[in-house]
Amino acid sequence: MANIQLVVFEINGSEYGIDALAVNGILRSKKFKVQKIPGVPEVIEGMINLRGQVNYIYNLRTKFGLKEAAIEDESKFIMLNIGSRVVGCIVDEVTDIVRFDDAELEPAPNLSASHNMKYLKGIGKVEDRMIIILDPLELLSTDETLDLSPDLLRNC
Amino acid sequence: MKQHERQITTTNGLSLDNIKLTDVIDLEFLQRFQDDFAKGVGLASVTVDPEGRPVTNPSSYTRFCMDYTHSTECGDKRCAESHRKGGEEAARTGKPVVYECHAGLIDFAAPIMIEGKLIGTILGGQVLTASPNEEKYRRIAKEIGVDGDGYVETAKEIRILSKESIESAANVLFIVANNMSKSAYRQRKLKVVAEVLDDSLHQISATMEQLAASAGTVSNNQSSLNDEISNVNSVTGNINDVMDLIKEIADETRLLGLNAAIEAARAGEAGLGFGVVAQEIRKLSTDSKATVGKIKEFTNVIRSSVDRTVTMGNETALTVEQQAAAIQEVTASLEEITTMTEQLSMLANDM
Repeated sequence: MANIQLVVFEINGSEYGIDALAVNGILRSKKFKVQKIPGVPEVIEGMINLRGQVNYIYNLRTKFGLKEAAIEDESKFIMLNIGSRVVGCIVDEVTDIVRFDDAELEPAPNLSASHNMKYLKGIGKVEDRMIIILDPLELLSTDETLDLSPDLLRNC
Repeated sequence: MKQHERQITTTNGLSLDNIKLTDVIDLEFLQRFQDDFAKGVGLASVTVDPEGRPVTNPSSYTRFCMDYTHSTECGDKRCAESHRKGGEEAARTGKPVVYECHAGLIDFAAPIMIEGKLIGTILGGQVLTASPNEEKYRRIAKEIGVDGDGYVETAKEIRILSKESIESAANVLFIVANNMSKSAYRQRKLKVVAEVLDDSLHQISATMEQLAASAGTVSNNQSSLNDEISNVNSVTGNINDVMDLIKEIADETRLLGLNAAIEAARAGEAGLGFGVVAQEIRKLSTDSKATVGKIKEFTNVIRSSVDRTVTMGNETALTVEQQAAAIQEVTASLEEITTMTEQLSMLANDM
């Protein structure tokens, strides 16, 4: 992961980063209506209609076990390319796009081999700031999302 | 202040320095009273001013005095001297004085005074308390150069009254004349005061009208001011709306910059230049947003200051209203006082 560009965003006051190559684009939440889908895992906030395509929106607060907060005007959806699909994550604000060298990166603390922690890819350091680098594939490919194939809709 | 002084001078116009007997006593009435009194009591009388000049015609003068004593220059002079002395004594004591004249008759002098100042004297008498002593009158006749026989004869015609009667008569004249002049003087004083009061009230009324008019002007100005300030408020609101729009554009631009940067990252080496542009765009949008924030701060300052101005303006308007109400009350009271003053003037004129 040498010399990568990260899209840096904020959730609940903490900074996270995700590889810009995995990002399809950033949307302003207030321009979309998130439609709830009954019965889906809690981590999926709902879906939006982006230029005629249905995209699922994940709530990373739920995912990270943070206290819930309503979607603000300033909230953004970071749209990620996951395989052939594009899914979104709700973040409080996208703050920057930063280029990182190897020296500024540190592997994720290997505290546990827990399945749930796989999405932590490393820590990026910019001066005093620490940016939690997330693995997009792991982030959205955990148990609750495995079934999130078009089959879900087919079953309806 | 000047007018006030002038009014005081007017009041002083009634000062005792220039008051005359004729100012306070109706001469026609005095003459009639004096004539009737003289006839009734049998005493001659005349009223003179402080300089001794008669202001009424003599009533019931005796032949002794008219035809003889006054007929020679010497007699006339001695009479005048006698009157002067009696008058002076009366003025000095402030009471009627009964005395014997140069020709031996009993006379009296009753001073007419207002607040201690002599304005005239009622002189009278020309009577005797006992039968005339022939020898004495012959001597006096010789002194003043008149016919002794005639003098004695007319002296015998003179009415004889007791001293008490003369004193009582002098007292009656004194009391009546003084009361008459006193009340007339007070009436005049009252009239002048009523006039001054009326004048002052008219001035106050005029001032009150001006005050009411200017209160109205202030009130109008204040409401115009409030309208203008409200305009400022709505314009400030409009500015804020525009600022919201600019902020929205800045947000959109920033997102555009972020998305452009992501595209540039995906383009790898080829996207480097585009990445720089994208970064500049983000920077610009951040600057715009910061500027919008500052402008909003200013407009908020304007707004709160406008709000305060409106509050103060409303307070002023309220105060002006209260003033107008107070002026109305004063004006109403003034009208009542004016009516009372008019009644006072009428009373003073009727007395």
